[in-house]
Amino acid sequence: MMCRADQHPEPQDADAEKVADAAAFAALLEDGAEDLYENAPCGYLSTLMDGTIAKINTTLLHWLGLERDEVVGRMRFTDLLTVGGKLYHETHFAPLLSMQSEISGIALDLKQTGGGRIPVLVSSAVKHGTTGQPLMIRTTVFDARDRRAYEEELLRRREAAEEARRRAEADRTRLQEALAVLQQSLLPDTLPEVPGVRTAAHYHTASPDRLGGDFYDVFAIDGKRFGFFLGDVCGKGPQAAALTSLTRYTLRAAALHDPDPVSALTTLNRVLHERYTGSGDPRYCTAVYGTLEPDPGTGTLAVHLASGGHPPAVVLRADGTADFLPTPGGLLVGILPTARFTTATTVLGPGDTLLLYTDGLTEARTGQDRTGLYGDEALLAFLTAHAGRPPHSVIEALTGLLDSFGDGLDDDTALLAIGVPTADDPRTRNER
Amino acid sequence: MSPLNITTRDAGTGPVLEISGELDYANVSALQKRLDGLTLRQGQRLVLDMRGLEFCDSSGITALLAARGRAEAVQAEIALAAVPANTLRVLRIVGLDQIFTIHPDSETATRP
Repeated sequence: MMCRADQHPEPQDADAEKVADAAAFAALLEDGAEDLYENAPCGYLSTLMDGTIAKINTTLLHWLGLERDEVVGRMRFTDLLTVGGKLYHETHFAPLLSMQSEISGIALDLKQTGGGRIPVLVSSAVKHGTTGQPLMIRTTVFDARDRRAYEEELLRRREAAEEARRRAEADRTRLQEALAVLQQSLLPDTLPEVPGVRTAAHYHTASPDRLGGDFYDVFAIDGKRFGFFLGDVCGKGPQAAALTSLTRYTLRAAALHDPDPVSALTTLNRVLHERYTGSGDPRYCTAVYGTLEPDPGTGTLAVHLASGGHPPAVVLRADGTADFLPTPGGLLVGILPTARFTTATTVLGPGDTLLLYTDGLTEARTGQDRTGLYGDEALLAFLTAHAGRPPHSVIEALTGLLDSFGDGLDDDTALLAIGVPTADDPRTRNER
Repeated sequence: MSPLNITTRDAGTGPVLEISGELDYANVSALQKRLDGLTLRQGQRLVLDMRGLEFCDSSGITALLAARGRAEAVQAEIALAAVPANTLRVLRIVGLDQIFTIHPDSETATRP
């Protein structure tokens, strides 16, 4: 170091240094060929064409835990391999080698005397004589323990990831099944038979992951009256589902206590307001609630309903007309301690149908760029074209309409149709 | 779909939130957050200027009701300004036109 720090080294000194370096380098090389063979960081092995081991280096003997005397002239290459390795050697390695004269990077397992095994990568080449006849096989053996461990780790991780994915998939399926069951519990399985009345309903779920907040029901109140309702709670998911459940059972219970539409909605308003006020999470719903009273004498159905913040129902008449049944000014249910609800009444004759819907229908986005809304006018035109048809047929047509919106329909939508059958309805004849 | 954009300014009467774009389930939390961070004092008037509002669904309605609840809690007023026709139609259906003071524009809404 002192010498190199010198700014002006004598030229003779530098030359002498070079000579000394070269000598040391040569000495290393001279010493190296044999030493390199014996102690190389890989195994060397030469065999006769029948596999008998003629030469083997120290490194490989060390890996095997064998002495040179036990091996040279006494063992064949395949004796060093595990059973599986032997088999692979016979069926693949040896045939390929004799065909191609060389083969490289074949993974095999060596047996150790202690009973262990070492994964290795083996390359072999046939040495030929001057006339081209095969003389011997030269083989190098690389320790592949690290590499094998790495591969095994990769495989293990891939299996773990696969397992995690499979489990997540199963969890997701289970969750969706649970959600579907919950969703079903929020809606009636079947609508009850109302004498002299036909009903039909449809529920469109926008997303299987987000419990919807639309609801409807039809149920008996007393011997002659039936109650019905349809609505939409704010929000999505479990909280909305809890609100839907509370709403549905409150309306049913309220109807039994006092079937008057305004008093049923007023009860619901009080319940929701008390439940959610001060929770920091305002929860409310829109709802149409009403009663049906069939008149067996005239074959008509008297409908009394009240609306709290819900879009107006539509009445489809047998004569081919359709009109909104306006209920303006009814307030959302649950936002204020007292709320005003708007009532409306109508009488349905044979062939007339009352349609209730949630705003998923009218708020569906239309047009190429999904910027338009389907809207009230289009709905009324569509329903006018279907006026005079029985409830199930109207619902069927609307279901087709909902499907036609495609991804423009991003909200849940509930539909409920209540109608009086015409005299030529086969079921009507059976009833009379 | 246009994103929701909210800018806040102070008028003599209190804070004015200019809401533009689409107020729906996907982005309503942005308005909620802005309302939570708002300083609103007793006697002030919170004005929601909806001139640029292109769409408002039921989640948007919930946010309006939450804003109303916040104003009530500190005894402040709340008013809506420049409500677009389609949103006004929704407000009418749900009866909220009766419980919100609605002004034609933010100028009228911020008059003392």
